[in-house]
Amino acid sequence: MKLREYEAKKVAREYGIPVPAGFLIRSADEISEHIGALGDRFVLKAQVDVGGRGKAGGILMADPSTAVATANALFNTQIKGLPVREILVEQRLEILHEYYLSITIDRSSKQPLILFTEAGGVDIEITAKEHPDAIRTVIVNPLMRDIPPFLLRELIGKAPKEIGGIVNKLYHAFIEKDALLAEINPLVTTPQGVFAADAKIIVDDNALGRQGFTMNRDLSEREREAEKYGFSYVELDGAIGVIGNGAGLTMSTLDLIGFYGGKAANFLDVGGGAESERVMHAVRLVASVPSVKVIVVNLLGGITKCDEVAKGIIAAGISQKVIVRLAGTNEAEGRSMLFAKGYEMLDTMDLVVKKAVEVTA
Amino acid sequence: MIYGDKKTGVLVQGATGKQGEFHINLMNAYARQIGGKGVVAGVTPGKGGKEVHGVPVYNTVKEAMRDHDIGASVIFVPAAAAADSIMEEANAGIPTIVTITEHIPVHDTMKAIAYARMEGSVVIGPNCPGLLSPGELKMGIMPSGLFSCGHVGVISRSGTLTYEVVDELTRAGIGQSTVIGIGGDPVIGQTFTDVLAQFEKDPQTKAVVLIGEVGGNLEEEGANSTNMPIVSYIAGISAPPDKRMGHAGAIVEGGEGDARSKIARLKKLGVPVASRPSEIPEMVRGLFRSC
Repeated sequence: MKLREYEAKKVAREYGIPVPAGFLIRSADEISEHIGALGDRFVLKAQVDVGGRGKAGGILMADPSTAVATANALFNTQIKGLPVREILVEQRLEILHEYYLSITIDRSSKQPLILFTEAGGVDIEITAKEHPDAIRTVIVNPLMRDIPPFLLRELIGKAPKEIGGIVNKLYHAFIEKDALLAEINPLVTTPQGVFAADAKIIVDDNALGRQGFTMNRDLSEREREAEKYGFSYVELDGAIGVIGNGAGLTMSTLDLIGFYGGKAANFLDVGGGAESERVMHAVRLVASVPSVKVIVVNLLGGITKCDEVAKGIIAAGISQKVIVRLAGTNEAEGRSMLFAKGYEMLDTMDLVVKKAVEVTA
Repeated sequence: MIYGDKKTGVLVQGATGKQGEFHINLMNAYARQIGGKGVVAGVTPGKGGKEVHGVPVYNTVKEAMRDHDIGASVIFVPAAAAADSIMEEANAGIPTIVTITEHIPVHDTMKAIAYARMEGSVVIGPNCPGLLSPGELKMGIMPSGLFSCGHVGVISRSGTLTYEVVDELTRAGIGQSTVIGIGGDPVIGQTFTDVLAQFEKDPQTKAVVLIGEVGGNLEEEGANSTNMPIVSYIAGISAPPDKRMGHAGAIVEGGEGDARSKIARLKKLGVPVASRPSEIPEMVRGLFRSC
């Protein structure tokens, strides 16, 4: 789950990383109360969960005379289709130089990877392509509490020494907040010192509980519904609903739909050992997607029992056509239950997918 | 076969839980069928002295190791405690630790794997179905009925998709040496590269099927590290960016790890890539024809 900028900056402040003075508002009239503390130049940043918000008009400059009007204007804008409900109002910094700093998890070495470049403020992917030698990286042993000074020297090179301290503080935040990503872009030098002008933190979904989050707010309504039943669910925009067990098999079913020229409406992995009630909820959930004309169920029974799956499909009682591939534990029982109710069953995933594509063509 | 054989005594952590109990029974049914040692001991703190399907349960891994010859372990412990189990086993000196548990926070996994490496243990998983070497050893939850003995190794980030491919291979008369699920998480112990290095040393394995998916670049890294003949399949060509496709590790992030570029890089390395699982057996046959 991605923290919003003001939340990420709160974390930064908690770990002693300087951030610009600022405050959060939820309506335009709140701006006047605190504005005195910010000086005569400030910036209004929409707190929306999308990337590229600056280019989309989500960051506006203001001074005391234009503050309320600018805030009003921003609250009445949609940023990439999302309403603006919160605005972070911050002092404008006098920027001397912009750096980029991030910590991620390197899958290859299985350890935290710290990335630093003196060419900050721009898209890091562009820097990586155009000036790969401007990027320095180090890998840290996750069993170490602090980053050893020699690694910090390797990382920051000739950049101001106080940045080394900030790297170490960000590393502490990264470890203790269960982050998958902790990024400061840009990290800026000003006449008043070094500041995190922007901050981004993504928290591991598997650690939300111990980090004190009750739910993942990045989820859409149907995704949230799916989470309630323990399904992995992703919505797409085709006409063929998909239910599978296991992430790989379900993904593969989606791909096969594309291979045969169709379009999948969703990804839904019911997980292992699904009982009839869970299958019923899965079928109903997918059927509730307005674009779904037909549903493919592709289940390979191991700990999942085919008769339970059949019961669930029948109990869902939906109006759309359901095409089923069932194999494995209690296959014969499952098949005869579905056969008795007139469901279409085919032996392989290729066959069910082909059929579904024909139906929707 | 790799990571163990008939003579490997297996320990199960989380032995008295629902999953642990269920799979001890299945693993030992398979062991009896093929004449292997199977699961010889279980561990659940506080449940020492109990028995699960005839397997003695101990309070700690070290106690179990005093009474039994143990070469590998399987962990079914819930996510919050699983990383601790990995470290306990590494500390006790178990060489191969198969971790089935899903939803372990990635920072816990990272530390446990770093610790295990320091202790000289190898971690398979987490969030994996384990491994099965037909006629030799089953460690984990794979449905043994689909497997047949032979010369093709299978390495996969997935569970059921692996069974699908194994089923296709068996039906086509292509037997397997070892089938191993390395896990669907972003941080896993043994990667494609590590397992391929094991297969290279295994005289039984003549070719490898590498089943990958979106996220990271461990598939390409593996293919680039070996001289083994490989056939690959990558799931997730239809996966939208920045969405986790079921597995914590199956995500296209920052424009990286998408299926198309992964497939292109594999093809550039000379690896044939199947466009659907049912093509895999024929492509494996093709490997043998050409060499």
